[in-house]
Amino acid sequence: MRIGMLMARHPRSKVSPIMPEVVELLTGWGAEVEILCPEDELTPLSDVRVEHDVYVLKSGSELALSLAGALHAAGATIVNPYPVAAACRDKVIATRVLQSAGVPTPETYLAAQAGELAPLLDYGPLVVKPYRGTNGVGVHLVWDPDQLDDVAHGGVIFAQRYHKPEGRDRKIYVIGGQVFGVKRVWPARTYEEKLGEPFTITPELREIVLACGRAFGIELYGLDIIMSEGNPYVVDISSFPGFKGVPEASLRLADYLYAAAERAVRGEPAVPVGAAPEVAA
Amino acid sequence: VRAVVIGPGRIGLGFAGELLDRAGAKLTVVGRGEVVDNLRRTGRYRVRLVDQGGEREREIPVRRALYAADVKAVAAEIARARLVAVAVRPENLGAIAPLIAAGLEARTRKKPLNVIAFENSVDAGPNLRAAVAERLPSGFPLERHGFSGAIVSRAVSGVLGEPEDREPLTFLGDPYERFEVHKPSLRKPLPEIPGLVRVKDFEAAFNRKLYVFSAGHVTVAYLGFLKGYRYVHAAVRDPEVRTAALEAMREGQQGLAARYGEALAGGEPELQAILWRFENAGLNDPVARVGRDPRRKLKRGERLAGAAGLCEAAGVPVAGLPLAAAAAVCFDGASHPADGSAKQPSAPPSALREICAAQAGSGFSDSVTAAWERFSSSWTRDAPLVRLSRPKT
Repeated sequence: MRIGMLMARHPRSKVSPIMPEVVELLTGWGAEVEILCPEDELTPLSDVRVEHDVYVLKSGSELALSLAGALHAAGATIVNPYPVAAACRDKVIATRVLQSAGVPTPETYLAAQAGELAPLLDYGPLVVKPYRGTNGVGVHLVWDPDQLDDVAHGGVIFAQRYHKPEGRDRKIYVIGGQVFGVKRVWPARTYEEKLGEPFTITPELREIVLACGRAFGIELYGLDIIMSEGNPYVVDISSFPGFKGVPEASLRLADYLYAAAERAVRGEPAVPVGAAPEVAA
Repeated sequence: VRAVVIGPGRIGLGFAGELLDRAGAKLTVVGRGEVVDNLRRTGRYRVRLVDQGGEREREIPVRRALYAADVKAVAAEIARARLVAVAVRPENLGAIAPLIAAGLEARTRKKPLNVIAFENSVDAGPNLRAAVAERLPSGFPLERHGFSGAIVSRAVSGVLGEPEDREPLTFLGDPYERFEVHKPSLRKPLPEIPGLVRVKDFEAAFNRKLYVFSAGHVTVAYLGFLKGYRYVHAAVRDPEVRTAALEAMREGQQGLAARYGEALAGGEPELQAILWRFENAGLNDPVARVGRDPRRKLKRGERLAGAAGLCEAAGVPVAGLPLAAAAAVCFDGASHPADGSAKQPSAPPSALREICAAQAGSGFSDSVTAAWERFSSSWTRDAPLVRLSRPKT
């Protein structure tokens, strides 16, 4: 089986061993794995064609996403599927899909001008985020209308009602139906801080988590959850997070991706049919 | 040398047929359905043997492929054969006994026929002999012919290709070729076949495979399933699963050592070799396949309870075996966690009740119940970070 990994070149500063271990495991199991780093090379678009049984879209870059889109258009099988990855990248689409699936999310607003949010501040603070942002970059907690002047938005204002979080940041990772919760400090700077520590997923929270996957038809994803006054709110979804803090993450990922590649080789969808979305992504 | 293979499945063709071909035998294959159609059409099949060292493929010519319903033709082939290899599952031995009986009656050769049932069953040889005897006239000299079971070492995990295609089928397995037969039950001259090992205590050899290799295999499958792994080769790399499998196999060895002696039981190198085999990704062996039919595998005398029984008789404490059995209870009737529909098993599941009833009063029953309760209370398939809590001994 041939697997194309769309991922950023592992910089020396990045210490997570997970993806290199995944590649090593898959290779050891007999898969031909090719690392594809679109940022590192000039790609003639006319040369883009499907050369692998399955592609793994790990990279979070816009270039990798676009390349995945081109491969998708050419008939490639991608984990996670390009439409889902693209939807997850856009918080407007992702949040609406989650809302439609009954997933608890903070009240969410869209606007073209930041000033339009001012009346909402009468009812409490808002979190304003870049609608295609990641890693907390560009996130503003806005209490007063004056602060709205500082919000850079690029034409789309994405705002959510602020719910004061209880305790540390909560990340939830799902690999093939297995749910893992990791608590970590914010912002997590070191690798050890990013590994965090496990927290127990209650049955109610698990149901919410799996509803997110069903909404997009995926089994591999990460969620950012806020617990506020005992209530969970899903504030972000990632179609291929870092899985730091998940025990045996690389082994679990390799096992999942190997099965996905096997399905692709057999001509089946890389994501099992049982994971079909409840809401079109 | 002519040989007949009855049962064109994974073991029949992927193991027995391949070894017989290497022994220089001309093969006649007897079976039913589309596989026989394919063999008749192509006149051959392939065996691909893979492990971490690479793979090799052999093409096995099939002289004749016959339908089992064609009793006359099958009997004629058996009448001329030196050896019949049977791989039809133990419960089907009675159904093929008339073919062998007819072949023996039609036999004019003086040399004996040896029949080897590659069923991984302790009593396949005697059972087949008895079933054949029932179909022969009184006074037939059946004792001139040999009947033995065989303990198969090779894992044949799948068949590639479609029977209706024009291409031959390919059987995928690992390269192990050892198989043990009961020496006193077979008759000379026995063809020299690669991998053939004659043993006097067939039950001991059978139990060694069952209580070590098979116990370890299902331990990896059941605990791997609980932790969400899809493949044996991945699950066995998980430190907890690996430790539990080693523990279960060590317990099996200790029970065997007490019953049959340490030489038969084997030691740590054998366990490491078995783990290496489980790591073979070339087999693509899903945990769901290895773990299927957990209720049969949980029965008294089977790989987990049987090994535990030997341990109990010898006063050897067990921890890995009941942990695996408790995981098998969770596996029973469950869908894979990956399908998103898995539910925590309702308590107490009937499989657990059956174990307790079958093993009433034994320490194993109590240990399995305790392990299951631990899974149920501190572990669920849905749990955030699955850490198998292990009993203290």
